[in-house]
Amino acid sequence: MTHDVRQGDRSAWSPKIVAFVCNWCTYTGADLAGTSRLKMEPNVRVIKLPCSSRVNPLFIIKAFERGADGVIVSGCHTGDCHYSTGNFHARRRFSILHDLLHFMGVDNDRVTFAWVSASEGNKWQEVVNETTARVKQLGPVAALEEKGGAR
Amino acid sequence: MNELREVARKLLAEGTVQVVIGYEEGPRGVRPAFITSAEQADKLVFDTRCVQNLAAYLNPRRKQVAQLGKAAVVVKGCDARSVAGMIREKQIERENIVLLAMRCGGVLQNPEKDTELTEETVSVRCAGCTAREPKLFDHLLGELPPAPPVNKSRMEQIAALEKMSMAERRSYWNEQLSRCIRCHACREACPMCFCVKCTAEKTQPQWIDPSSTLQANRAWQTMRVLHQAGRCVDCMECERACPEHLPLGLLARYVADAVERRFEYTASDDPSVAAPIGVYKSDDDEEFIR
Amino acid sequence: MTHKYLSHQGLAALVAELLSAGTRVIAPVRAKDDAGQIDYQLIASYEEAALGVRLPRRSLKEFFLPPTEVLLSYKQTKAGVEITDVPTVAPPQVILGAIPCDVAGLAVVDKVMNWDYRDELWFGRRDATTIVNLLCNIMDATCFCTAVGLGPESFTGSDVMLAPVEGGYLAYLITERGEALLKGHGEEAAADAIAHAEAARKEVRGKVEPNLAAVPAEFSTWLASNFDNPLWKTIALRCHGCGACAAVCPTCHCFDIVDEHISADEGVRRRNWDSCQTSLFTLHASGHNPRGSQSERFRQRIQHKFAIYPSRFGDLLCTGCGRCSRACPGGMDLPTIVSELVALSEAKPEVSGQ
Repeated sequence: MTHDVRQGDRSAWSPKIVAFVCNWCTYTGADLAGTSRLKMEPNVRVIKLPCSSRVNPLFIIKAFERGADGVIVSGCHTGDCHYSTGNFHARRRFSILHDLLHFMGVDNDRVTFAWVSASEGNKWQEVVNETTARVKQLGPVAALEEKGGAR
Repeated sequence: MNELREVARKLLAEGTVQVVIGYEEGPRGVRPAFITSAEQADKLVFDTRCVQNLAAYLNPRRKQVAQLGKAAVVVKGCDARSVAGMIREKQIERENIVLLAMRCGGVLQNPEKDTELTEETVSVRCAGCTAREPKLFDHLLGELPPAPPVNKSRMEQIAALEKMSMAERRSYWNEQLSRCIRCHACREACPMCFCVKCTAEKTQPQWIDPSSTLQANRAWQTMRVLHQAGRCVDCMECERACPEHLPLGLLARYVADAVERRFEYTASDDPSVAAPIGVYKSDDDEEFIR
Repeated sequence: MTHKYLSHQGLAALVAELLSAGTRVIAPVRAKDDAGQIDYQLIASYEEAALGVRLPRRSLKEFFLPPTEVLLSYKQTKAGVEITDVPTVAPPQVILGAIPCDVAGLAVVDKVMNWDYRDELWFGRRDATTIVNLLCNIMDATCFCTAVGLGPESFTGSDVMLAPVEGGYLAYLITERGEALLKGHGEEAAADAIAHAEAARKEVRGKVEPNLAAVPAEFSTWLASNFDNPLWKTIALRCHGCGACAAVCPTCHCFDIVDEHISADEGVRRRNWDSCQTSLFTLHASGHNPRGSQSERFRQRIQHKFAIYPSRFGDLLCTGCGRCSRACPGGMDLPTIVSELVALSEAKPEVSGQ
């Protein structure tokens, strides 16, 4: 049950953030952040995918539906894609998603797109900490959460 | 119009096509017509009431039309882009269709109500049209009418929404989307929705709940509009079909504008021009990526 | 049947009394997104009601069979699965100023809802509802209620009918429930008010009748024996299969039932409107679809409305409201199609399915 905390005491709330990361760069970068013992907010749950282009926009929408307060999507820097061009395609899709979410009033500040390479453990740390701080500021994703009937 | 009837008659008489898909006078205004014999060619009409995008009937899902045989179809410049889209995406073969392209001076927003084209009555999708003389055709017909007046109401509505705060925009869309009943008429009427199995119908996992809750409605419309990015020709058949009168044309136009701004692409009637999602440029904007 | 005279102020007072007693009142109001259109909606005051302005865009169906509704919720516990049904008792409500075809639609659907299974959610709402319809004078060229055994003056399904007269309405008290609603309201009706209303009832009929001749009783039998007639192959060419017709139809009542998870061990069972015009409606798990093309799906629509339903329940599954024709993006026009089919049936009454 994802709803109970939000209806009650805000101070007890800590955001849930889902990160969709690529196997080759960001996951390894996040691993490096861990083995380097960099201090990070504990709010992020990592989901490993082969490539950032594997991230269907529905993953992000679904994450919000199921109670995520923030989402991180991260993969290799352009030009570094393990599959050569995956992240170029991902970038096109995300740019339209980014604009559409804005137009539909879904807070883009809850979504972080980032390129994090395998050697950028410290950038991963920054992405995690910044996203968590921002989502904490924004509060629970309650406004997107209405699950009742249409009428 | 006589030219159109003449060509249609000839195509049917010679057996080049078995059906001409065009417009005819119906019991409540102009409606799609399926002319199967040369004698009926005189039924065809073309004027400002012809809002329907007949390219939808070439969609392979319309089996009842496909069984009639090879088709000629009457298209406006905007509709020709749908045909190009279907050729581009390998749904139809160029040589299997005959395009009767009409030079167009704009169509009405509400043909059941209005007759004359004015700034208020002309379809919002005609604003900024660059396809009044179609480029994809087998027969280019009619005289080029003067350019229609420009109905700015949709652009103004989009601008007004962009000026709102995030919360105001969300509440606007929440109110609109909560009316969606998930009948999927928007999809069925769309010429470019031809997936054999729509994401909305996939159940393992259930990506989009079939019930018309606000959440699922938002997921559905977001997904539908994103799948149409760079493919949608803004014919607004989705909005016309919607029994709940959702402003789906706003979403379509907004995404089309975003595609144009970011990828310098507008819906093309050249099937050899690649759609923008599926290709990329190494220097695409990434201002939103950290 | 008894009558009462209800002035405009009298009706306003009745509505005010109902609202203050906590009764939900549903009436035609100006649509939020388009002031030129009318929707049925809950009202908070009599002033919101826009009676007799034009045909509401949607029927009353959604107030009795919502587009989506929860049937039960389930929860996995250590002891097993806990199932909680939703209550079937609905809060009292009054429908004010509905057009007669929409009201008749409810009475038609009642029969299937109490057939092999009694739909308690439907009847919970039906039983909690008192219906006041309004003599219809807002018909257009698409209306054909008189062709399907109803009319703009029809009492079918209603508890009270209002007919506009000088200074207010003549109220026909059709049922006991209607009498109870107007208890303490209205005055004795003058003879000339009754005469005026009766004349109006005749007059409005005449405005719809030319749109479509009455569908003959033999039409159902003809349809049933012409299931394989080749005409079905071409009748629905312009149909996109979008199902907008079913969404706006006051009598289309098919629904789909789905289970939706809220979390890993909790969920709800919902029912959602469905339409025989979409291919998914009949798609088998194997991939086979017995109604593989739109021709077959549209045949189903006509057969169900004009042959199957009447053979089971006596009523046509159509009230002649014309909404399907107005909503159709492909220009399919039910009255035209019906009149063409009827003409065909009368030309060759002996044609059979063999």
